[in-house]
Amino acid sequence: MLLMGASVALAAAGCDGPDEHGHPLHARPRGADEAASYATVLDLEGLGRGVLARTRAGHAVKIEGNPQHPASLGATDIFAEAAVLSLHDPHRSHRIRHNGRPQAPAGLDAVLAALPATLRVNGGAGLRLLTGPVASPTLARLIGDVLAAFPGAQWHQHDPLADDDALAGAVAAFGQPVAVLPDLARAQAVLCLGADPLGPGPAQLRQARDWSTARRAGSPPRLFVAEATPSLTGARADRRIALHPAEAEGFARAVAATLGVSGLAKGAAHAAAPDIAAALLAAAPAAIVLAGRGQPPAVHALAHAMNQALGARGVALRLIASPFARPEPMAASLVALTTAMRSGEVTHLLVLGANPVQDAPAFLAFEQAMRRVPFTLHAGLWEDETARASRWHVPLLHPLEAWGDSLAFDGTPAIRQPATRPVVDDARDALGLLGKILAAPLPAREAVIATWMDRWGGIGFDDRWTEALEVGTAGPPSPTISPALRPDWDRPGEAPPATLTAIFAPDAGLRDEAQNAWLQELPRALTGLAWGNAALFDPQTAATLGLAPGDEVELTLDGRSVLAACWPVAGHAPGCVTLPLGGGRKAAGAVGTGRGFDATMLRPADGAWTAPGLVVRRTGARASLVATAAPYRADDAGAVPRVQPGEALAPIARGTSLHPDWPYEGRAWGMAIDVDACIGCNACAIACQAENNVPVVGPQELARGRGMHWLRVDRYDFDASEAPAASFQPVPCMQCEKAPCEPVCPVNATVHDNEGLNVMVHARCVGTRTCSNNCPYKVRRFNWDDHRPAMDTPRRNPDVSLRPRGVMEKCTYCTHRISAARSAATLEGRELRDGEVETACQRACPTQAITFGDLNAPGSAVAAQRHDARSYALLGDLGTRPRTTYLAQRVPRDGT
Amino acid sequence: MSVSTRPVVAATLRPGAWGFRLGLLLALAGVAVLAAAIAALLVLGIGVWGNNIPHVWGFDLIAYAWWIGIANAASLFAAVLVLRRHGLRTAVNRFAEAVALAAVLASALYPILHLGRPWLFHWTVAYPATTGLWPQFGSPLVWDFWGIMAHVIVTALFWYIGLIPDLATLRDRTATQGRLGLARTYGLFALGWRGSVVHWHRHQAAYRLVAALVLPLLLSAQTVVALEFATTLVPAWHQARLPVHMVVTGLPSGLGVVLAMAAVLRHALSIERIIDDTDMDLLARLLACAALASGAAYAHEIFTGLVFAKGAAQEAFTARAFGAGAPAYWGAILLSVLLPQLLWRPGLRLRAAVLIPVGLLAAAGVWLDRWSLVVGGLLRERLPTHAVAYVPTAAEWALLAGSAALFGAVLLLFGRAIPVVAIFEIRHEESLEDVAEEER
Repeated sequence: MLLMGASVALAAAGCDGPDEHGHPLHARPRGADEAASYATVLDLEGLGRGVLARTRAGHAVKIEGNPQHPASLGATDIFAEAAVLSLHDPHRSHRIRHNGRPQAPAGLDAVLAALPATLRVNGGAGLRLLTGPVASPTLARLIGDVLAAFPGAQWHQHDPLADDDALAGAVAAFGQPVAVLPDLARAQAVLCLGADPLGPGPAQLRQARDWSTARRAGSPPRLFVAEATPSLTGARADRRIALHPAEAEGFARAVAATLGVSGLAKGAAHAAAPDIAAALLAAAPAAIVLAGRGQPPAVHALAHAMNQALGARGVALRLIASPFARPEPMAASLVALTTAMRSGEVTHLLVLGANPVQDAPAFLAFEQAMRRVPFTLHAGLWEDETARASRWHVPLLHPLEAWGDSLAFDGTPAIRQPATRPVVDDARDALGLLGKILAAPLPAREAVIATWMDRWGGIGFDDRWTEALEVGTAGPPSPTISPALRPDWDRPGEAPPATLTAIFAPDAGLRDEAQNAWLQELPRALTGLAWGNAALFDPQTAATLGLAPGDEVELTLDGRSVLAACWPVAGHAPGCVTLPLGGGRKAAGAVGTGRGFDATMLRPADGAWTAPGLVVRRTGARASLVATAAPYRADDAGAVPRVQPGEALAPIARGTSLHPDWPYEGRAWGMAIDVDACIGCNACAIACQAENNVPVVGPQELARGRGMHWLRVDRYDFDASEAPAASFQPVPCMQCEKAPCEPVCPVNATVHDNEGLNVMVHARCVGTRTCSNNCPYKVRRFNWDDHRPAMDTPRRNPDVSLRPRGVMEKCTYCTHRISAARSAATLEGRELRDGEVETACQRACPTQAITFGDLNAPGSAVAAQRHDARSYALLGDLGTRPRTTYLAQRVPRDGT
Repeated sequence: MSVSTRPVVAATLRPGAWGFRLGLLLALAGVAVLAAAIAALLVLGIGVWGNNIPHVWGFDLIAYAWWIGIANAASLFAAVLVLRRHGLRTAVNRFAEAVALAAVLASALYPILHLGRPWLFHWTVAYPATTGLWPQFGSPLVWDFWGIMAHVIVTALFWYIGLIPDLATLRDRTATQGRLGLARTYGLFALGWRGSVVHWHRHQAAYRLVAALVLPLLLSAQTVVALEFATTLVPAWHQARLPVHMVVTGLPSGLGVVLAMAAVLRHALSIERIIDDTDMDLLARLLACAALASGAAYAHEIFTGLVFAKGAAQEAFTARAFGAGAPAYWGAILLSVLLPQLLWRPGLRLRAAVLIPVGLLAAAGVWLDRWSLVVGGLLRERLPTHAVAYVPTAAEWALLAGSAALFGAVLLLFGRAIPVVAIFEIRHEESLEDVAEEER
C-alpha cells in the first residue's frame, strides 16, 4: 500500500515536475525554484512592456512587471495581467486546419515546403504578407529577407488602432516619423489634445509612474485635457474641456496663436485657450502639448509646433525615431492590399497574428476580397474570423511560449523568451513560418540570436545574451533625435460638418483579445460596463434623442447600420457618439462572441477616427448591458476627501469599544492606498483576480450582482457638470480590527489572527452570508455556484485554495505571500524587511498608490503613510478600525 | 360521550369527505413542489435563488420571519387562552396550537435551507465536535438556533400535552368500534391516560406550566429573528426598536391565519356549535386589536425614522418608506393594519366571506412588512453601492408555495387524525353548565 502510494506520488511528480514544463528555461530564474520568474516581454499595439512571468511547477501562473524595463518599472496593466489567462485558454486554437478541417502538421509542412519553389517562378509576385505593426527586430529582419528573396512580394501592416494621423502630423511637421516621449515627472504643465497618457497603451505604465512621482514630490504637472470621449487622463485632469472633434483643430490653433507659434495659419479664438496658453507659457519650457489618437494630422502638427515654441524638447519631452520597423499609414496599406486582392493580383496571402476580417472597416469588404485569393494562410492564437475565412489556419504560439524580441515605446529592446513549454502542441511561431517560406527554416531561438549577433558582434555575445534574458532588456532606449520643424508645417484641415459625429475609439478594457474572460468581466473605469461595449453619448444628447441608459439604438452611417446600446457618460462632448472598437465579435469563442456591437461595421474604409453624419434611431427595445457600477457623488458617504496643500485631515479616530483592545505585539499588517495617485486603470483588480484564483462568473451572473472581484475601484465624480473630475478609490477588504463580520458568524468562519488579519476560513464556512450583511464596505463575495471546475487549470495559483460552492470569500491581504516571505526570512535567519511582502494589487499598481507592511515596525512606509496629514479611514466613524486606510486626494489651492 | 362532542369525534374518525380529499390532494401536490424545490436547492445550490451582494437574504429570511410570526401569534393566542381559562379556548386553542406547530415546522425549514452548505447546519449546534470548535456564541444566528429549537419543542409539547386526554377518548372510541390497531396507536400516545383525578390534576399543572413557558419563548423567538437584523451595521436595520416592532407587527399574521382557518373549519366540519358565533366575534375583535397595536408600532417607526433618526438611518428609512420601497411598506400597513379595522363592524365579524380574506390578507400584509425590512432595508447602505435589485426566482416562489402547502397539509392531517377542538375542554364546559343548572 505504501509502495503504491509512493509510486502514485512519483507519477504525479513526473507529470507536473519541472522537467516536464519548461525546464531548464533559458535564463537564471529570479526567486526560488518553487516560484521562479522569467523576464520576458509582452506587446501592446506592437510595442513591448517588460514583464516577469511567474511560474509554479513549470506553469506560467502570473504576470508581474519587470522593474528593470522602462515600459513597466515593475508595474503591469490589465492586458499584461490577462495574458496568462489567454495562454491557458482551453478555447485557443489547437489544430492546424485546411478549409476548416483539422490537418496533420505534416500536411501543412508539405505545402509550405513546396511554397518557395512556386513563388520563385515569378519572383514572388502575388505574395503578400499581412502583419500587425512590427517593432520586433527579428520579425522585421525575416520579413525583409522574404521581401529580398521575392522581389515581387509586398508586406502590409494592419492595426485597427494604428494612429495614421499622428504619422501624417509628424511627417508634416518634421518630414519624418517621430515618436513623442513626454516626461511627466518633469513637466509642469501638460495640455492633452485628445491624448490619454494615463490611459491604456504601451507607454501607460511609464507615464503614469512619472506623473505620480511628480505628484508625490509636490510638483504635480497642471494637467489640461481637451477631449471628446472621457479618458482616465481627463478624469484626473486639473481642467478638462469637452470638445467636439470638429472643434479640436480650432481649439489647438487658438492655443497655438496665444503661444505665438510661428508659421501658424489664421484661426478663430477659443474662450478657454488664453488661460491654458498662459499656464503653459508660465511653465515653459517644462510645458508640453500632446496630441492623441483620433486627432487630425493638423492637430498633431500643431502640437509639435507648440512644443517647439515652448522649448519643451530636451526639457520635458524628447523625440525619437519611431520604434516601428516600417512606419506607414496602415489604413492605406490595407486598402492597397484589399484592392490588389480584389483585382486578382494576389495569389498567396499570409496573415501573421492579425485579424483583418474582423477589425478592418466593413466598408472595405476585406473578407470577400480575401476569399478570391487562391492561397491564404492565417496564423493566430484563436480560430477567429480571419481563420475561418482562410484556406489554411495555423495555431500560433502565445508570446509567453515563444521566442522573439520587441521594442518598447521608447525604443528599449528586449528579448522574448518562453516562460513555459507550449501549451498547444501543434502551435507554430511567426518566425518559423517565415523561415519556411525562405526555405531556410531556423528555430525561432536561433533566428533571434542571429539578429542580435548581427548587432552585437560575436565577441562576448554569450554573456550579453544571458544578461539580456536575465535582466529583461537588451539595450538602451532609442537616442533622441532633433528634427527641424519644416517651415510649411501647418496644413489646416477642412472643418468637418457639425452634424452628429461618430468617434471610433479603442475599448477602454479590450484590445483584440475578446476571448479573455478577465478582460470581459472587468468593469470599465469610466462607464462601469462589462461584457460588452455600448455607444457612449453625452447625457444631453441622449436626453434630446429621448434615450435612456440601456436603450437599443440603430446607428446608421453611409447606408450601413448597426444595433448598439446607448450609454450616456458624464463629460462626453455633445454632438458626437463614441463607438468603442473590439466588440460584437462573430467568432471569438464562448467568451467573446456577440458581446456588445461591432463598431467596425460603421468605420469608413480609410480607417478614419471620426465620421460625421451619424444617424441615431431608437428601436424601442432594451439592450442587454451589464452595468456594474455607477459613479458616486461627492456628497455620498465614503467620498474621497480632497485636501489643499498644507491642509490636514483630522487624525483617524480609533473609536470606543466595550471590548478591551487586542495588543498586537508582533506584526500588525496594514495597507495605505494613496487615492491621489490612483488613475483608475484597474490593474490591481485584475492582478488580484489572477493571484487569488478569483472566478469569472459571466455576464448573466454579473448582471445579477454576483461578481466575484475581491477588489473593486469605486469612482466618485466631484463635479456634476459636463467635465467631471473624478477620484478613484480602490476598495479591498479593510481588514478591520473591530471587524463587523466576525461577531455575527455563527461558526467562527471569519476570525482575527495574531497579526491583525481578518481571516476567512473557507472550510469552516456554512454560508449564512450574515458577514456580508454586516460588512459596511461590501467587500465580501459569495460562491453562488461551484466555480472550481472552471478554475482548476494549470493557470491557477497553487498557493491559493479554490473555494467550493456556498462559502464566502474576500481579500486576504495576499496572506500566502506573507507566509512565503515569513518562511524565506525564517530560513535565512533574519527579520522580515519592510516592503518584502508585496500584495498582488500593490505590485501591479503603475503609480505605486498601494503601500503594504507592518504598522508596528518603526519607520515602515505604511506606518508613515498612516500618520500622513492626508490619511483617512473609509467610514471611519463606524468604529471598525480599518487596517486599510487611504490618503486623500490633493487639489491645487486655487481649486482649478 | 356527550351529544355536543360527537361531531368533533366524528370529524376525526369519519372517512374523508370530497372537500377534504381535494384539499389534501392540493396540499400534497404543493408538498411535492416543495420537495422538488428543496432537491433543486441541494443539488444546484442557492445560486438558483435571486440573491446577490448586497441582497444576501431574500425570500428565505422573509418567509422564516413570517412563518415564525404566524406561529408566535397563534401559540401566544392559545397560551393566553389556557392561562386565562377563557371560554374561547375550548373552541380555538387546540386548533390554534396546530396552526402554530405547522407554522413552526414550515419556518424551521428555512434556517437550514438558506445556508450555502445546508448539510453542515449542525456546526451551529453546540456539541463536542472533533474540530474542537464551539459555535460563536456572540452571533445572533446561534441565538436563533436556540430560539427556533426551543420554539419547536415548546410548541410541540404544548400541543401534545393538551391532546393527551382526547387521544385517550379516541383510543376508547376506536376500541369499542373494534379497530384495535388504531386504538393501540392512539393508546400509545395517550400515555396510559385513565382520566383519574390525579391524572387530571397533573395534566392541568403540566398544561398550564408549558403554556406559561410559551409566553417568554414566543417573545424571544421573534426577538432573536429581529436581532439578526438589529445587530448589523445596516442603517435601516440597526435600531433598538426592531425586536418589539417585529413581535407586535407579527401578531396580525398569526391571528389572521387562525381566524381564517377557524372560519373555514367551522363550515367544513359542521361544528358551528362548538366554534360558535361568540368565539368568532371575539377572535375577529382580537385581530382588529392586534392590527391597532401593529399600527401603533408603525406610527412609532415612522415617527422615529423621520424625527429621531439621523444621517444614514434617516435616509434609509426614507428610501424604505417613501422611496423605492414604498409599495411594500404601505402595502403592509394597508393590509395588516387598516384592513382588519373593518372587523370593528359587528355585521362583518360573522361573515366567513369577510373573515377569510381579511385574515389571510392581514397575514400577507405582514409578509410585505418582512419584505420591506429584508429587501427594502438595503436600499440605502453605508457606502453607495451599485445594488442590483433582488428579484426572486421561480425556485423561491416554489419554496414559498411549497411551505404554505406543507402548512396546509399538516393542518389537514391534524384535522383528520386528531380532534380539531379539545373534546375534554368541551366536556368540562358542559359539566360546568350542568352543575349550574342543577344548582338552580
